[in-house]
Amino acid sequence: MFVGRRMKRDLVTVPPGASLSEAARLLKANRIHHLPVVEGRKLLGIVTDTDLRNATLRGAAGEVGGAPRTVEEVMTRDVVTLSPGDTIDDAMLVLCRQRFGALPVVDGDRLVGIVAKADVLAALLETLDIEGVGVRLEVILPRDMGEVTRLSATLRELPVEVRSLVLAPHGKDQYAAFVRVATIDASGVRDRLRGKKFDVAELSDFYEPG
Amino acid sequence: MAADGTRGWGPGGPYAERDITEGFDRLIAANRLFGAELNPSVLKKSGKGAPFLVRKPPPRHRMLALWQDLFEHRVAPGELLALLSIEVHGMAHGDGLLLFGRDRLLYDCQILQGGEAVGHLTLDFYRERDRIVPFLPFPTRPGHRVVFIEGISLTRQSTGYASALFRRYERLFHDLGFHLFRLKASLSVGKYYWAKEGFDCSDRKQFQEIRDRLWDLAWRLDLPVAEQEVRRLTHMSDVAAFRGDIKIPVWRDKEGYYTLERDAAHPEEFLFPLGKAFLLGSEPWDGHKVIYTDTPRRTALVWSDKYLSHGTPVGHPEGLKRLTALREAIRREGLLSSLIVTEPYLPGMEAVHAVHAPTYLEEFREAVARGDRYFATRDCAIGAGSYEAALLAAGGVMAGIDAVFSGRSDNAFCAVRPPGHHAGRATAMGFCFVNNVAVGAAYARSAYGVARVCILDWDAHHGNGTQDLFEEDPGTLFASLHEHPSFCYPGTGRRMDRGKGAGTGATLNVPLPPHAGDREMIDAFEREVVPAIEAFRPELILLSAGFDAHRDDPIADLECTEKAYVHMTRRVLEIADRHCGGRVVSVLEGGYRVDSFVASALAHIRTLQGREETPCSSAGG
Repeated sequence: MFVGRRMKRDLVTVPPGASLSEAARLLKANRIHHLPVVEGRKLLGIVTDTDLRNATLRGAAGEVGGAPRTVEEVMTRDVVTLSPGDTIDDAMLVLCRQRFGALPVVDGDRLVGIVAKADVLAALLETLDIEGVGVRLEVILPRDMGEVTRLSATLRELPVEVRSLVLAPHGKDQYAAFVRVATIDASGVRDRLRGKKFDVAELSDFYEPG
Repeated sequence: MAADGTRGWGPGGPYAERDITEGFDRLIAANRLFGAELNPSVLKKSGKGAPFLVRKPPPRHRMLALWQDLFEHRVAPGELLALLSIEVHGMAHGDGLLLFGRDRLLYDCQILQGGEAVGHLTLDFYRERDRIVPFLPFPTRPGHRVVFIEGISLTRQSTGYASALFRRYERLFHDLGFHLFRLKASLSVGKYYWAKEGFDCSDRKQFQEIRDRLWDLAWRLDLPVAEQEVRRLTHMSDVAAFRGDIKIPVWRDKEGYYTLERDAAHPEEFLFPLGKAFLLGSEPWDGHKVIYTDTPRRTALVWSDKYLSHGTPVGHPEGLKRLTALREAIRREGLLSSLIVTEPYLPGMEAVHAVHAPTYLEEFREAVARGDRYFATRDCAIGAGSYEAALLAAGGVMAGIDAVFSGRSDNAFCAVRPPGHHAGRATAMGFCFVNNVAVGAAYARSAYGVARVCILDWDAHHGNGTQDLFEEDPGTLFASLHEHPSFCYPGTGRRMDRGKGAGTGATLNVPLPPHAGDREMIDAFEREVVPAIEAFRPELILLSAGFDAHRDDPIADLECTEKAYVHMTRRVLEIADRHCGGRVVSVLEGGYRVDSFVASALAHIRTLQGREETPCSSAGG
């Protein structure tokens, strides 16, 4: 999945000469934390609510040079960016490892979008269909596509709609299959799967009550 | 033993056997106590007042045994006669007799006005025998103590005498420890007033006719009454109170009888409210009344055999076995006679359209008519009677709301099928087609002007349909306790969902982790749900009462027992007492393992009646 499909395109930006209070107002009004600083479409830097807060604190402490007044003075110039051709995986890795909140997306030096943590989480929610109707079952399989095929064949026989199926590594030689089924009778499905000798994890296998 | 001096009026016992026997002797000497034929149908009344084919009194030990069985010696024989001969509305009892049958005691007297006999009253005191094995006539054990009005007649019109007398009697029988006070009489005596007190027509067919005639009258007089309003009448007391805002003329004769048609014999014209006028002017009917002297709350049970016509395939968890087993258990436990059985009615489509899209209902109807095996999703299996049953389930909640608002019952349990809380405006899912509580809430709003409705949903599954329908409505508090959506169908109902727009804050989701039991359930209920309902100050509480959070239920992973349901029901009633006159209408949702479902539902119903004896479980204790 490419960043270009997930990024936000209607951007809130500021010119470098904008005042700090103007920047603060924009952040608050749009309920965001990151403002790309642009000249035309060209990305010059990024300013976050943390930058603004630190600047205000510096000003209050009466540091040499006085309080900064424009966005240009406080923005980060050396911005980590993505390109529309990068993938959501790239975005996840950068966001997670470097602990950023949002990444501007640039095509050359032209700003075309922004990807925030929430956008990446939304992609994950959709993939796992977490907001959709259904129940998640967790089936532990040997690492053998034959077993995966058998599982899908078994699910096909059941009178239920499968909303999503995610296969994840589980230890060294097993898969965990996360199946989301749209039926209220999840225990019936569990029983049928167990009847076909599948290892359906008990809730307690994943969740230990305190 | 000395009389209990703290109570001015009522039995003074318990007494020693010797006192009772002496009481018998004194009455026999005064010619006030006799024996009588054992079978009441053999008891013969002669034309005017001379009452029974009486016999010599039976042996003392037999009389004593019956007295013990009926009264536990709480009252002495002479005292009972005195307590029964109450003077109300200037009318007294004369020639009062106690007659001993083999298994019952009779009270027979003249009704006197100014020394002149104007009527006659016979009461029957007996004890029901309950079968120990349901389908065998024997063996049996002693059941409810019953007072039965064998007959009452008055030769003179006496407005309100019967109601006043029975009101006093009801109190007396309560103090004597009787369970039921039954009447069966031609309602020519005080018919309107009796109807108002809760008389019902013993013959359902006759009642349908009465309803049809009421509709004919409204039609003939061209009154602004919708057919739907008449159709939803399920009880005689509703007829009496029907459309008090419309006044119609009735004519009265010299003796005080009324008619709806003017003629020479009925010259005097009166304007009465529609329902009252109709009953006063109609023919006498046979009625019965059950007075629940051992139940602090009168609970209506909404029930119809048509709920069984929603057929689901064998092995489907939401099968009709749920309801047949519940009904059988209600019978077996002897609860039926203490419940005010209420019939549901098919709601007008405008009531259902308040909640569901007309196109959606039409698709549902067509799917049923085509003979489809399921509608919308494989979970929602359907059969030939499913469409009607689903509408009737919503109509059942409306009938329960009618019962509670008309004062016929204090609260109601609607044993409906199919369930409703997953059904959204245009979605069927999770065995649900029509959102019964939602239709009920909308109906309470339009028919009774209720502004603030609380819907409490303790089904183990989140009531996503109900939430979707009301999430923007600040006038409906939707509070749901359910298994956490990450583990359980339908995967919604997260804590952060608190309503939308103007309705923000009027949705409360309390997810419970898998394997949570009574303690966790009751804790969460007390900590989060109770304060929210208290703060909301509802005018009506609707319960989405599913019983699938039970530890034996296969469809969810919670580990509650009947105890949690008893606790929550008690607390809901108590909150309802404080905020909305005890108005609670409980609507059946899930609960799929028949034995645990039946046990839980029974405990819930008993608690609604205020007769569940399980000790109160305190929160967190």
